[in-house]
Amino acid sequence: MNAFWTSARHEVLSITRARIAQLLLVVFVGMVSASAVIGWITTRTVTAVYEGILAAGLTTAANPFTDVAPLYYARNSAIYVVLIGCLMAIVLGAQATLRDRKQGTSALVLTRPLTLRARLLGQLTGMGLVLAAVLLVSTLISWVSIAVITAVPLSGNLTARLLGFAGASWLLLMVFAIIGMISGLFARRESTAFLAPFVVWSGIAFVLPQLGTAARPVALLNPVPANPVTGDSFTALSALTGPFAITEQFKTTASVLLQNDLVAGSAVTGVLALAIFLIAGVIAITLVPRRKIRSALHE
Amino acid sequence: MRDSAIILTRLTRMFGDIPAVTNLSVEIAAGEIFGLLGHNGAGKTTTVNMLTTLLSPTSGDAQVGGKSITADAAAVRGLIGYLPENVQFYDNLTLVENLRFFGRLSGIRRPDARIADVLRFLDFTGHEDQRVGTFSKGMRQRVGIAQAILHSPAVLFLDEPTSGLDPEGVRTLRETIVRLNRELGLTVFMNTHLLSEVARTCTSIGILNQGRLVHHDTVAGTLAAYPEEQSLEEIFFQLEQAGTP
Repeated sequence: MNAFWTSARHEVLSITRARIAQLLLVVFVGMVSASAVIGWITTRTVTAVYEGILAAGLTTAANPFTDVAPLYYARNSAIYVVLIGCLMAIVLGAQATLRDRKQGTSALVLTRPLTLRARLLGQLTGMGLVLAAVLLVSTLISWVSIAVITAVPLSGNLTARLLGFAGASWLLLMVFAIIGMISGLFARRESTAFLAPFVVWSGIAFVLPQLGTAARPVALLNPVPANPVTGDSFTALSALTGPFAITEQFKTTASVLLQNDLVAGSAVTGVLALAIFLIAGVIAITLVPRRKIRSALHE
Repeated sequence: MRDSAIILTRLTRMFGDIPAVTNLSVEIAAGEIFGLLGHNGAGKTTTVNMLTTLLSPTSGDAQVGGKSITADAAAVRGLIGYLPENVQFYDNLTLVENLRFFGRLSGIRRPDARIADVLRFLDFTGHEDQRVGTFSKGMRQRVGIAQAILHSPAVLFLDEPTSGLDPEGVRTLRETIVRLNRELGLTVFMNTHLLSEVARTCTSIGILNQGRLVHHDTVAGTLAAYPEEQSLEEIFFQLEQAGTP
């Protein structure tokens, strides 16, 4: 087994043993499960009220949930990915590269016949496998809960859309995992290694979209992208900041994949943007100088 | 005559304007236990860091197992085992999980059988599934030796190996180093400031003072060259004083 796969395997093992990582993974899966339960309770409550009103002859309108697309119930997951998922990925990424610096194991690693590139890309792959597993578990939870709520198993097309959403989520999380890794390599203090990527995340998730949309901050907590404002300087700002606002790109992709007709756009554009950021991040990791893994933390 | 396992040629390392090691030239034969002596800050760890490829020399070169540390660092890494001062491991992994990781990084495809052999050799069985975070300093040092010899290196570098150990731990480690040399044929390069350790363990010594080598000979040769001195300790202070600019 070469250094790449050894590092990937070691990363999976280390993540599963780290308390904070375990906690974040449980919180993420828990939120997705809670989202499914909330959707189920909402449907049941609204339908019960509707049936009461219908029986009393107070309405002739159709049940508002009759024409709802089945994937409607998974839409909130997008915001959990942007809020909790990204923070989870940052923590995993920073922990991965801080581990050797903090525990003092870097001297043992660097005196082995391996390249730093193989080591770091192996760690990234290990993280990728863990994140993929978490997203698959949450996709399975969504699939089952939607099937229970609608009383019909999801078709192949809808299942593929749900898996596509998981894939787009994975791309976004991997970008933030890389940001965390790079911060873990370059930060002088452990606290900075976690705080710096959180600042980058809040800039991407909240500041950049506001520059191009003039959206209210609360609107950015919606699982759908904020509408860009046209005219004046906003058009230019939107064109400038839009490509970097990858959380908004992700929301557009998620909305299209999860059958939200109110959102215009293509899922492919967002996926391509995320893939470009991921590739750029992978290239950045391969350029990290060897000494960075050994640099001492000032704490 | 035995082949040279380590050859240092005018090895120099500067930190800014401050010289840590200056024009260090030494040849260490295969199968020796070489002790590099010196006070704190003499340049011992810097020398080991260069020889283990953790640090690049400012000038000069060294060959370890016939490979250059500057031109062929990757090959050098395949030939060496290294035990740093205050060795650390992944505390939330077990002993075997730690050793598997380092064994695989060293290119051992299926390390479990080799791990069992090494732990038996070190008389350190029964702790395989225990997390390393629960180990004492002495136990960690033995894990350190285990990871360093797992891939059957030709040269073993030990940086202050007895640092922080109790007398029993020091004795066990000393015996282990001698066994590694005699039974496995390893060349050992050891940094220390404990003269008693050098006298009991090493076959040859070098004395480093302010980054410069002021003495290099066999232990027996050193003692014979200074018949008026009572111990290696007295010889060390005399040589060090003579070498101070």
